Amino acid sequence: MQRRSFFRAAGATLATSTLVLAGCKDDEEPATPVVNNVIAFNGFDTTTRQPIDDGVLNYAYLLEQLEAAFYQKVVASPPADLLPGELAYLTDLRDHELIHREYLKALLGSKAYDVSLAAPLEFNFSSLTLTTRVGVWTAARQLEDIGVAAYNGAGKLLVVTSNLLALGKLASVEARHAALVHEILQSDSFASTVGADGLDDAKTPTEVIELIKSFLPVEVSVAALPTT
Amino acid sequence: MNILKLVADLAATTPNQFEQPADRRDALTSLGRFGAKTLAAALPLGLGSVPALARDTRTILDSLLLALRLERLQNAFYTQALTAPASFFPADTSIRASIVKMQAHQQQHAALLVRLISTSNGDVPAQPRYDFTGSKNNTQAALFPSVFTNFDDFLTLAQLLEDTSVRAYKAMVEFLVQDNYILQTALQIHSTESRHATRIRMIRRQRGATVKPWPSPADADITVANKTAVVYATEHATTQLLADYTSVPFRLLPIGSGANILTESVPEAFDEPLAADSVEGLLNLFTL
Repeated sequence: MQRRSFFRAAGATLATSTLVLAGCKDDEEPATPVVNNVIAFNGFDTTTRQPIDDGVLNYAYLLEQLEAAFYQKVVASPPADLLPGELAYLTDLRDHELIHREYLKALLGSKAYDVSLAAPLEFNFSSLTLTTRVGVWTAARQLEDIGVAAYNGAGKLLVVTSNLLALGKLASVEARHAALVHEILQSDSFASTVGADGLDDAKTPTEVIELIKSFLPVEVSVAALPTT
Repeated sequence: MNILKLVADLAATTPNQFEQPADRRDALTSLGRFGAKTLAAALPLGLGSVPALARDTRTILDSLLLALRLERLQNAFYTQALTAPASFFPADTSIRASIVKMQAHQQQHAALLVRLISTSNGDVPAQPRYDFTGSKNNTQAALFPSVFTNFDDFLTLAQLLEDTSVRAYKAMVEFLVQDNYILQTALQIHSTESRHATRIRMIRRQRGATVKPWPSPADADITVANKTAVVYATEHATTQLLADYTSVPFRLLPIGSGANILTESVPEAFDEPLAADSVEGLLNLFTL
């Protein structure tokens, strides 16, 4: 849709000369397949080889699925030693991440990597200690900080401005979550990921997948995402 | 990336964005000074379907200058607060320590922005002066008469400024897509500001304010109509649009079944951008 509007906006002459660059296509791309237990997010148009946003949006979608699944598991079976108010926070976090997940799924539509899967991926949280409040909040801190750094690193990989704005709306909410979780564990630690020049962390998709791969039931490849 | 992003941005530019005349910038003296929409407007199209001028012609430089205004103002705000006597701050020493961190970050952001503006051949404006009571040096009624004597008043203004920063950077990134380095830098500042905002909100919450760690329709209103109300204008949106301008059908999606899921959780889950002119208006309340 975004690309077709270009024709209306700029007219046929210019459109013709930029058709290849814009990667205009009439056909829907096939959804990212899961082959031999590997999900490969594809950030390039298969015909024109020009960058497209499907891969990066699917990467964000996977991260939101992971966070949502984590909080769903925790809220369904919360640790006994939660302090007053903490279950309400965990419930809010679960709801926000479910909303983020479904928002990105709606943005992706038929391009969602799991659209043809019989069931969504089941994440593996067995490496986490979810029976104590400190274990839960420590895991949440890890996931939220990864989410913030992932969004900060992914923005420049996007091609379509509306997608950048869409991820921006989620990114600062993830940072708010992260700051909340830091403060729950340790007062005045809200900014412990902020480094030189007052800049928060940013990570590449490759770095992020390395950090979350223990939770993933399949191998995820981001080798075919844009890097600039 | 940049030509690809420009083309994509053109594609994403809706026809009505071409309709309204706006100030046309002088010339393409420096690519780095022009945002995508300006380039879209400046293309020699000669096509009947495309009016010559784009509506919003903000450039990278415009955005960096707005960011510098924000950071300088917040740096001055925290710097002034930190000169207050120890009795101004709560007994919990972690609170003043957090304000120290925030001030340091804003100072670092301002210095970074000055470097970026200078290397883009932009002129760095003189440092403004401020009156954080909002009284413009006692020429009008103050909005925050006790801002540096009452800690809760200070926190209230801090929250308004930090939340405004988050929204300002979120709106700004659209105009930075031609420069990957500046874009990522803005996103990294954006999430730092968001962390600040949440820390301020949590301090207020500890002190009894009705406020959540993120902007929520459940927050008690701390704004003044026609003055600071802009800070949360459109922030509590209950709908989100897809690329084809249809709304995400949240009520039909598996997002949970809490009583307030659509009216409270959905708006909480999204922070909304705030256009530059609204940000300027807010900054002007405290700038002399």
